[in-house]
Amino acid sequence: MNVLIVEDEKSLAHEIAGFLRSENILCETASTGREASEKIAVNLYDFILLDIGLPDYNGLDLLREARRNNSDASFIIITARGAVEDKVKGLDLGADDYLAKPFALVELLSRINAVARRKFNIRDSDISLGRFEMKVQARKLTCDNNEVDLTKKEFDLLHYLVLNHGKVLTRQQLYEHIWGNILDDQYDSNFIDVHIKNLRKKLNAHAPSPWLETVRGVGYRISIPE
Amino acid sequence: MIRLRTKLSLFNLLTRLIVMALFIILMPFIIGRINLRQVDFNLIEKRERMISLISETGIEPFIISDTSNAFGSYNILKEEFISLEKIDTAEDLNYIEVSPRLIDGEEIVYRVLNYSFDVDDQKYLLAVGKSIQSIVDTGKDIRNVMLIFLILIILINFIADYQYTRIILDPLEKIRNKLKLVSDPALFDMTPVRTNTSDFIELDKTLCALMDNINQLFRKEKDITVNISHELLTPVSVLRSKLENILLIKDLDNDVEARIEESLKTLHRLQSLINSLLMIAKIESHQYLREDSFSVKEVIEEVADEIEPLSEDAGIMLIKEFKDDISIEKANRSLIFSMFFNIVNNSVRNTPAGGRIIIESRKQNKDFSVMISDTGKGLTGEQKELLFSRFRMRNKESGEGTGIGLAIAKTIADFHQIDISVDSDQGKGTKFTFLFPGKSTF
Repeated sequence: MNVLIVEDEKSLAHEIAGFLRSENILCETASTGREASEKIAVNLYDFILLDIGLPDYNGLDLLREARRNNSDASFIIITARGAVEDKVKGLDLGADDYLAKPFALVELLSRINAVARRKFNIRDSDISLGRFEMKVQARKLTCDNNEVDLTKKEFDLLHYLVLNHGKVLTRQQLYEHIWGNILDDQYDSNFIDVHIKNLRKKLNAHAPSPWLETVRGVGYRISIPE
Repeated sequence: MIRLRTKLSLFNLLTRLIVMALFIILMPFIIGRINLRQVDFNLIEKRERMISLISETGIEPFIISDTSNAFGSYNILKEEFISLEKIDTAEDLNYIEVSPRLIDGEEIVYRVLNYSFDVDDQKYLLAVGKSIQSIVDTGKDIRNVMLIFLILIILINFIADYQYTRIILDPLEKIRNKLKLVSDPALFDMTPVRTNTSDFIELDKTLCALMDNINQLFRKEKDITVNISHELLTPVSVLRSKLENILLIKDLDNDVEARIEESLKTLHRLQSLINSLLMIAKIESHQYLREDSFSVKEVIEEVADEIEPLSEDAGIMLIKEFKDDISIEKANRSLIFSMFFNIVNNSVRNTPAGGRIIIESRKQNKDFSVMISDTGKGLTGEQKELLFSRFRMRNKESGEGTGIGLAIAKTIADFHQIDISVDSDQGKGTKFTFLFPGKSTF
């Protein structure tokens, strides 16, 4: 995948690019609207991460321009401007998703993957976790073909951890993914701990789940057994 | 507290009533005088007619000198009489008196004009009388007619006055309503009120200018808050990405890992504080849309579902008593959700294990309210006062969060004109009541 990061805050663009490269995604950065406009005209990108608050350009104009040039790129809008109109306008103009600053890098990756799966019509394959089997399409978890009864939140949590397997996810990252930003203030590390506790209880009732690890002082991680 | 219109009308009515009372007090006297004069004129006129009749025809048709000495005539109801008799006095008589007369064995009091004259050296006394009763009756008639007339005039006058003041004060009424409707200077109706009364035009203009001024100041203040928040979010974003990237480095020392997570936590506190302020500023500057129609019960059910795992874990019983429901229109669903969530979550934080939280929805008369009560430690008077302020002293025991959640809930409630009140006894618990506006539409 080839991604263009349009972000005037250079150190942020640098961090995003570093992270995406570690995920084996090709990245280029542009810090002004003009630079971005030139790059979009010349190169083909799969994804454009667009900060609409550019100093020299209205980000939404860039989106319009790219659409006119028949660019196939998927757009994810990034902004510190949480205004609803911006979000609506961006999505109306054909942006594929929207992220408010500050966001978690893993969240950005998961959005990119979700858009890519939609775009290329990739079916989510089932994932096996020891004796457990996660049927992503059907949103079900089974253990030796017996269904584990999970709530929507518990499934979402597990799925997010599975998608980011091998990485430690902090409680805050998990929280934001599940609850979004609307309940930002009420963030309570307890929320995630309670749900993980319940999730573990349900899993262990079927079979041991050593692959769901607590990383002390940091968060949780899933190590998919080879 | 009386309205200006009513005051003016009452004053009008009062002056008229005073005039009327004065008139009623003076009327019997005036009418009596007028009536009496009229009667006396009448008597004199009759006397003149009698005299001229006598001078034409002589005294004989009335008094035949041999047989009788007197002549009398009265009408059937004995209201009037005329009498003629011979008298023997030297002096000339011409006076009016009130005296009783005996007619057909009935004594009636008359006002009588006595007049003497000479015919052929014989003195005659002419008496013309009108019964006092008939005089009084006439007076009464006149008085009644006048009274009715007076009342009619006052009534017409009052109605005309009332209507006129209504019309003339209508612009004032409109201005008042405009002010009354406005919960936020941004929503003030700037269309001028139609009137040709210069005072009202002036008032309206002054108010519009004032609102505009307040508006601009408000907007400026909110813009500053929003801009500062945005400016702050970008560096937070940079820091966050950097720390998250460090955390992803393989085989990181456990201690370093934990410290980075600590920093991320602190950073998150800053982030949520900024976001909360931004949210409040955005609600107050009406940047949130109010386009959803939904059932309140559904929202509180969702909140309860969201909270249940937490309360269960904390050993708190969550009791749902959703008796009634209303559907609200022109509201923002996610904000309403957030409002209830903040309050219920606050209750969970402040209730010890073994406690209870009750969420109720109830319709009483026309009022729909949602109540959230807990068996927590309750609030002191001072805490209650500061409860909804943005930077109240954070209670260290209440765990994480910036303590701004209640301020957000209050802002959301205000935005939707929901009345939020707190009832709390220290040691017994706290009860939040959300009273929804009378109509289900906002």
